[in-house]
Amino acid sequence: MNPGAKKILLAGLAFAVVYGLLNSLSNIFLLPSAPIISMRPQIALPMVVGILVHPLAGFITGFAGNMFGDAVYGFGALKFWNWHIANGLMGWIPGLVGYGGIRRIGTVREFGILQMSLVGASAAGVAAAVVLDVFFIHLLTFPYSFPSWILPAFLTDAVNAFILVPVILLLARRIRLTLETRTILMITGLLLVSILATAGAITWAVLDDLVSHSAMVENFYIAAVVSVLLLVAGFIAAIVFVRKVTDPLADLAQAAQAVEQGNYDLPGLAGVSARADELGRLARIFEQMAGKVREREKTLQRQVDELKIIIDRKKQAQDVSEIVETEYFLALKEKARKFRET
Amino acid sequence: MKHDILDLAQCFFYTAADFGKEDAMPEIIAIHSFRGGTGKTNTTANLACLLARKGRRVGVVDTDIQSPGIHVLFNLDPKDAPHTLNDFLWGKCDIGRAVYDVSRILGAEDKEKLFLIPSSIRTGDIARVLHYGYDINLLKEGYQKAIEQFALDYLFIDTHPGLNEETLMSIAVADTLLILLRPDQQDYQGTAVTVEVSRQLEVPRMFLIVNKVPTAFPGDALAAKVTAAYNCDVAGVLPHADEMMALGSSGLFCLMHPNTALGRAMEDILRRITA
Ligand SMILES: Nc1ncnc2c1ncn2[C@@H]1O[C@H](COP(=O)(O)OP(=O)(O)OP(=O)(O)O)[C@@H](O)[C@H]1O
Ligand SMILES: [Mg+2]
Repeated sequence: MNPGAKKILLAGLAFAVVYGLLNSLSNIFLLPSAPIISMRPQIALPMVVGILVHPLAGFITGFAGNMFGDAVYGFGALKFWNWHIANGLMGWIPGLVGYGGIRRIGTVREFGILQMSLVGASAAGVAAAVVLDVFFIHLLTFPYSFPSWILPAFLTDAVNAFILVPVILLLARRIRLTLETRTILMITGLLLVSILATAGAITWAVLDDLVSHSAMVENFYIAAVVSVLLLVAGFIAAIVFVRKVTDPLADLAQAAQAVEQGNYDLPGLAGVSARADELGRLARIFEQMAGKVREREKTLQRQVDELKIIIDRKKQAQDVSEIVETEYFLALKEKARKFRET
Repeated sequence: MKHDILDLAQCFFYTAADFGKEDAMPEIIAIHSFRGGTGKTNTTANLACLLARKGRRVGVVDTDIQSPGIHVLFNLDPKDAPHTLNDFLWGKCDIGRAVYDVSRILGAEDKEKLFLIPSSIRTGDIARVLHYGYDINLLKEGYQKAIEQFALDYLFIDTHPGLNEETLMSIAVADTLLILLRPDQQDYQGTAVTVEVSRQLEVPRMFLIVNKVPTAFPGDALAAKVTAAYNCDVAGVLPHADEMMALGSSGLFCLMHPNTALGRAMEDILRRITA
């Protein structure tokens, strides 16, 4: 897939309009802890455009969309230009994953790269906005802005992208459902549900006046940081676990392929067959089976070696001469010779 | 002047086109075996069908006058074939009238790819040809005419087993002879005689094909043995296939089971003999 410049531009701008409208809409639903940074599920849009169309289309959607949204909402199109760039980067970076060769996600490794690119894009975008602010815009004040703006901006974008982008890619059939992806999707889903439940419980507590707003904000920070740590740790643990199961499967598949091609020495299976678990048992049975096939092949080879084509040469000569010395045969031979010459 | 150049160019063009045709000389391929039931008829039908599917125009002649059978594989009802090879051999009809388009077997839409010259299944017709015999020059002329009239690239001849006068004729008219044998002690001696007699008839090209080989038998080793015993090239080793037995000549194996050991082995044989 390599869309032309025109298609990239058109797709980027078309989705930018959608993104801008969603942005100005969602400014209404503010995160309890961050009065300005809003709950932004739509951040998935520039990322998905970057992945499915082209990294540059993702950039255009993020950049132009944020500008358009600010204008519609009344911030002014150019006031927070550093955030336009931040959004552009968030659309551009995940697209590089697909551009770098991962067209369809089928393994835990590819899924991990995708999810890390989403988190990385959120981090890079926010970092760029902050740096530009420090040098040119001077709106942020340190250290106050860090917990009130920067961290929430990063967290909301990262968590939203982490949940929504895989869901959209799944619907767009960009994630192949293999054993690996199914498992990692399930574990990631469970992690996210528990994190969202925590966040939900805290929000609910404050809405019901069970705790004061300031206590809630404090709780929310602790919960958010713990959640992200949990997410990263859980995600890495999940990757390790899934690979522990699927790597031996890959070894087994390779061994099966070797047997299919008539190669019965399977050194690549030694690691798996040494395992004490179910996969180790499967590998040992497989090795036994390959040994049996090798035995059978040897027997067949021996049978062919022993096969004797016994021809009685004397009788053969006799039978041949009985035929070729007849008048009929001699005449036939002569005729055949004639029409072969013509 | 301008016309001269055009004529010259056209002349060159035609010569070049004729040049291309030269290596595509139509070829007569006879399939024979000393003993019966080796798989001649099924192998002939399948090789012909595979070639036709590759876009060549292929004819098949049933010269097994005593026990015709290949029309069954091509799904040609004798009722729909009023003229046969027998009629041609008695001068009752032109060879062209005994040629039937059986391309339908390849696919509902297919036409003019695969042709069959059947033998009569009526006992009277059979007895008559066997009694009076026929002349090889007539047979050869008939084949030549059929090849020209239907623009055939290949003409396959299915034969009766053994070395009687009729089969000797089929061997004599062939450009390429394929001799089938099974890995069976009963086949070895007669095959040796057939190979030698065919040599004496000066057949231009001759190959052995080993059929009904136990599955998973190492084919290369077997082929090497056969080559050494007969001092003759082996075109291929065809494994026994239960699916072929199950078909019971009611259809073409190569169309129904292309991706099997037997199907691939047939393709290999074609590659060797048409190389
Ligand atoms: N490779 C094979 N595997 C299994 N069965 C086979 C194979 N080749 C042929 N047969 C079976 O062997 C039987 C005889 O085949 P076929 O009629 O083609 O032999 P033939 O040499 O033409 O016989 P005949 O000498 O009677 O004309 C058929 O039932 C056919 O299905
Ligand atoms: Mg037959």
